[in-house]
Amino acid sequence: MNTKKLTVLGLYATLSLAIYAAESALPPLAPIPGFKLGLANIITIILLHRYSFRDAALVLTVRILLSAMLFGQVLSLLYSLAGGICSLSVMYPVSRLLQKKLPPLTGAMGGLAHNAGQLLAAFLITATPGVLAYLPLLLPAGILTGLFTGLCAWLADKYLPRQAI
Amino acid sequence: MIIMENKNSIRTAALLIAAFLILVMAACILYLFAVRNHAQSCVAEIYQDGKLILTIPLDQVQEPYTLDIEEGNGHVNRIEVRPGCIGMISADCPDLLCVRQGFIHSPAIPVTCLPNKLVIRLRPVENAATDAGPDAITY
Repeated sequence: MNTKKLTVLGLYATLSLAIYAAESALPPLAPIPGFKLGLANIITIILLHRYSFRDAALVLTVRILLSAMLFGQVLSLLYSLAGGICSLSVMYPVSRLLQKKLPPLTGAMGGLAHNAGQLLAAFLITATPGVLAYLPLLLPAGILTGLFTGLCAWLADKYLPRQAI
Repeated sequence: MIIMENKNSIRTAALLIAAFLILVMAACILYLFAVRNHAQSCVAEIYQDGKLILTIPLDQVQEPYTLDIEEGNGHVNRIEVRPGCIGMISADCPDLLCVRQGFIHSPAIPVTCLPNKLVIRLRPVENAATDAGPDAITY
């Protein structure tokens, strides 16, 4: 990894960490565990459309580790990782299938996968079948918030300067 | 990276993905409505760490009362039981989402305190009184 790539990806990681911190400061939208906008996903979507899967995964991992160290507990790290891995491994093939067009659709699939993965993690950690009752609530929520973050990424793409790395 | 422009394949993929998403949304929303409208008496089940520790038939509750659930590591959740509904009224978890969720009446959404690994869910019970006999008898 050359210096330019390191710098550019570092800036993206900082940006997504800042977005994450700003979102954590907002009051929760609904009293449901796992229900949030996931605004930091905007950066993941932009990276996935501009650069490679590896770059997006790298920035996402750095953001998740840093946010867990700065704001979270060990448990929230596990949930973030489960959601992040699921959403990225779905968004990558979807974005390539759509040939990097229509980021909102990619985002919606990512949001869906994120919430499904996170709920699965909660199911495994708490070992309670009851948490799966949130599935019919969190799946549509993931689709809608993903649609929104995808739309944000689509619009923000015009304003964020492009750097070849 | 040079991408072979193929408008048709993008459109097909987009339509398939959109159809899939709409299907998932519709299924979930229909399910939620089906569960919510299924009003009947419920049994509250309290799970700690995945194990069922307490069962409370909510239609037999006359007076509201509270009970404290203690975790091995010193965490405490206080649950209030009322006739027909149940909720978490205080907890020492960081986000307090379980408390903000208030009282639940239906099996649609359980109350969950993820940090303390506590779940309260309602399970519908067949109401023997209405199922067993006829609704009304006239002579």
